[in-house]
Amino acid sequence: MRKILTAFLAVAGLMAFVMMPLVALANAPEIGSTVESFSLPDTDGKTQTLESLKGKNGTVVVWLSAECPVVAGYKNRINEIAAAYKDKGIAFIGINSNATEDLNWVKSNMAEYGYKFPVLIDKGNVLADKWEASVTPEVYFLDNKNVLKYHGAVDNDRSGKNVQEYFLKTAFDSSLSGKAIEKTKTAAFGCSIKRAGKPAE
Amino acid sequence: MNFRSARSAIKAISLGWLFALALFGGVDGQTKRPVRKPPSGPLPKVTKIDQTRYAELIKPQTKPLLINFWATWCGPCREEFPDLVKIDYAYKGKIDFITISLDFEEELNTGVPQFLKEMKADIPTYLLITPDESAAIAMISDDWGGALPLTVLFAPNGERVLFKQGIVKPAELKAAIDKLIAQPAQ
Repeated sequence: MRKILTAFLAVAGLMAFVMMPLVALANAPEIGSTVESFSLPDTDGKTQTLESLKGKNGTVVVWLSAECPVVAGYKNRINEIAAAYKDKGIAFIGINSNATEDLNWVKSNMAEYGYKFPVLIDKGNVLADKWEASVTPEVYFLDNKNVLKYHGAVDNDRSGKNVQEYFLKTAFDSSLSGKAIEKTKTAAFGCSIKRAGKPAE
Repeated sequence: MNFRSARSAIKAISLGWLFALALFGGVDGQTKRPVRKPPSGPLPKVTKIDQTRYAELIKPQTKPLLINFWATWCGPCREEFPDLVKIDYAYKGKIDFITISLDFEEELNTGVPQFLKEMKADIPTYLLITPDESAAIAMISDDWGGALPLTVLFAPNGERVLFKQGIVKPAELKAAIDKLIAQPAQ
């Protein structure tokens, strides 16, 4: 009986060991982990990949929405940061995963908000599910090797009237100067991503 | 046709015209859209809170504590609100129920109380203004990314018994509350 139990535990332990990397792969990217490349169409229908759009010193992947008032409040700050750091080799990639926003709306919103970076369409919120992105706007800053360095809010104030902490810019500056990023993860209130089949969540 | 019957005919036609005008709202055939007036009468009080007061409010006292995080700019929040109002009326006195609005401060005396009045809500409502939203979110759960709405139910001992991001199903919420209030006080 003891031998059977020992054999069972050994098999269970081996299975747990084998399954562990698979479980880890299924999880959302963690700070310090390398993000897998992705491939999504832009608003002109052209397929783009993380590799084709990444910046030489890093990339920001930002979840956006055409209807979210919080994104509207952040649009100018996002554009300013994207413009200021473009010359420093940091590229921005917008992602729209909202099932409630069609291509024409996303395209016209992109023009209205003046985004100078591509916005990719994540139909069926596949990438949002994989990365477990939940709100808009939500930013992921990757270094030039696609290692996640910062995840969360652009700054500490949705209204833009009382910004005290520039989370994303601070992360850029630390990364560009080779310093450790002090605040790697933040959370902020925002619009939930309207997932396919779950319009209310 | 005599004079009396002619007069009756004119009267009937006139009444018909009046009825048609009332029904269609004008001779040009355009339907007038009803104007949505802001609710009249005094607006409910919405209290602005900082992080310290927030930390106090999210701790249950002697009863189960239900908290709904929402904002007027959040579509799903507005959608689920009528059900929350019904739950508030159904469980008044049995649980503590508060809502925390994440609206912008400008809405403190306008949009937020107006919405509560429209909803006929009598739920104590607070508007959180904090420079550290990350910390406020973490106080509820590390699993919360900040997406609205969020409904959380705490047992009187502080145990979190329901955590629902997105629209909460009233039956699910009621079942969780019923289970809590059926338990003897510890």
